[in-house]
Amino acid sequence: MSKEELFKKLSEAVIASDSQAVVDAAKQVIEKGIDPVEAIEKGLSKGAIAVGEKFDKMEIFLTGLMMAADAMKAGMDILLPHISKEKIVRKGTVVSGTVKGDIHDIGKNILVALFQANGFDVYDLGTDVSTSKFIEEAEKVNADIITLSALMSSTIGGQKDVIDYLKETGKRKNFIVMVGGGPTTREWVEEIGADGWAETATEAIKLASELIEKKK
Amino acid sequence: MVTFLNMMERAVTGKPCSERDYDLKIFSAKVVELVKEYDITFDPSLSVPSDDSLADDVFKAGIDLYREVGTYCKDTERIIKFTESEIKAGLKNAPSRAIFGEELDAKEMVPRKPEDRTPPWCFIGAAGAPVSSEEILLSLMQSYGAIPLADSITTPALTSVGGVRIRPRSPLEIYGAIRNAVLAREALRRAGRPGLSIMNALATAESAPSLIAALHPQYGLRPSDGYLLAAMAELKTDFDRLNKACALLSLGGRIVGESGPVYGGYCGGPEGTAITSVAYHLMGILVYQATCHLVFPIHLKYRCNTTPELLWVISAYGQAISRNTHLLSMNLNYTAAGPCTEMCLYEIAARAISAVASGLSIEAVGVAKAAHEDYLTPIEPRFAAEVAHATAGMKRENADEIVKHLVSLYIDKIPDPPLGMKYQECFDVKTGNPSSKCLEIYSKVKKELEDLGLPIESS
Repeated sequence: MSKEELFKKLSEAVIASDSQAVVDAAKQVIEKGIDPVEAIEKGLSKGAIAVGEKFDKMEIFLTGLMMAADAMKAGMDILLPHISKEKIVRKGTVVSGTVKGDIHDIGKNILVALFQANGFDVYDLGTDVSTSKFIEEAEKVNADIITLSALMSSTIGGQKDVIDYLKETGKRKNFIVMVGGGPTTREWVEEIGADGWAETATEAIKLASELIEKKK
Repeated sequence: MVTFLNMMERAVTGKPCSERDYDLKIFSAKVVELVKEYDITFDPSLSVPSDDSLADDVFKAGIDLYREVGTYCKDTERIIKFTESEIKAGLKNAPSRAIFGEELDAKEMVPRKPEDRTPPWCFIGAAGAPVSSEEILLSLMQSYGAIPLADSITTPALTSVGGVRIRPRSPLEIYGAIRNAVLAREALRRAGRPGLSIMNALATAESAPSLIAALHPQYGLRPSDGYLLAAMAELKTDFDRLNKACALLSLGGRIVGESGPVYGGYCGGPEGTAITSVAYHLMGILVYQATCHLVFPIHLKYRCNTTPELLWVISAYGQAISRNTHLLSMNLNYTAAGPCTEMCLYEIAARAISAVASGLSIEAVGVAKAAHEDYLTPIEPRFAAEVAHATAGMKRENADEIVKHLVSLYIDKIPDPPLGMKYQECFDVKTGNPSSKCLEIYSKVKKELEDLGLPIESS
């Protein structure tokens, strides 16, 4: 199989959410001595971008998106150990979770899957996450972005808590803070001083890339 | 018959399973399989299908789905399952009539069939949308109480008490829940309908302690009010919700099983969302012992249910349930557009016609996705009830024609809908009277519906 054919196979396997096919193709990349960076860019990432576009057009749904993200990760797990540290280009590191008191996770799961599929390192803290846990984890993994989900009008105050905590401890500038979820609005973002908000997960990924670029 | 205690035993002894495996490998996989097995296909050219066999297949697939996947309990990480005969017995024994409210305002909710002339139950108000002050809550509630077609009331949710933002599972939430109940009852007294049922007075009570605290009789709520009890997407529950069910059932409170299957989420497309909507009725009966049901399929991306796919889902599951059961079932509407816009009223009409012609009753309405503080007025629920009553008895084919026309008027604006105006910008908060602009839009859209063949009597 030629290099181009292998890249195509990687891309198609991600789109098909076929983790085993991704692993098989990634192993062949290593066995054939093909540049793993090129395999990520022209194979896995290409597939992931296509998956994101399909999800945005509702041609695939959440389950397909999450399984495609799993497939992408399976391929990365094979390829990354063969890339020298200085060559590894990740788009950013994200700590993601639903705020204290809120146990809804679908919106957060979509965001996490899209971040993974778009080449971000994501640390998913789950739901009902305490303020201090967000910050401890963000410091531990040297995160670029903290994303705070909330689905209830009674729980969005948890987003403000994280920002207040960062401000009080002098750490506000260390992280980009993005918020989202049903009851959040642009006005709310301005009120609490978050860095970004998006109505959909796809828009959030685009905005995250822009905010990281701006911060550099 | 499966008792609440039987169900709880299964919640602590059922098959263990991770939540992720339940979502992806059990629930989602079974939905895909059943859509294929029953050959259920979304037809984009129809908003209100008239095919009885489609409705019956959606019903059968919903039964199979629930029998196979049950309900996932997040706290025990176990699956609560029911046999086919338990599901059938649950359907047979579920209430076919229920009286809500008291004295002169008591009303009986009855089941409906597709194209039924029986007027739909109109659960009218804010659908839990947030409001910024107690003054606005009182004013809105008083106006809802004055809507003659209102059979029960859905309140707004307070976001703060005494200027302090409410936090979940805190004394602030308990305070907010109690305040919500007291104000809602007081507003209905002022409207001259003190016995009217408040079905979600506890919209502010996300946690069980808040609900239980606000149930004390001195705050004005009654067993006959009706209490929304939500499932979690998809087909999941937790101890907090089960604690609420236990407390409500012990007091003889009428539970309204609430659920919002997500189109584009684990349900997949329109077909899977319709099947899951049926399964939620079964969960309501068997897990929450619900008296009636409120299902609101919702678009994952646009957070409304007025797109063509969602209108098809509402029609398909509505016909499935109303043709095959005697369940008391309502559908809740979320619009993309905000108050005092033509688009909002077009969306409301499209959903109300689809639901009512398909045999459902209605809750109206979460305006502007119920996400923006104070973006709601009494005009929208009043209009929804008027359209719903005018639709009773309409043939599904006729409903489909009108709905398709309405959808064509707003579909392009769904991704970026107009937000409209706040209550205090288009109504006089003190008198509850609308601005002339509001009335003008309402009259214009009503006239357009009349021209389309749906004469609407002013209420």
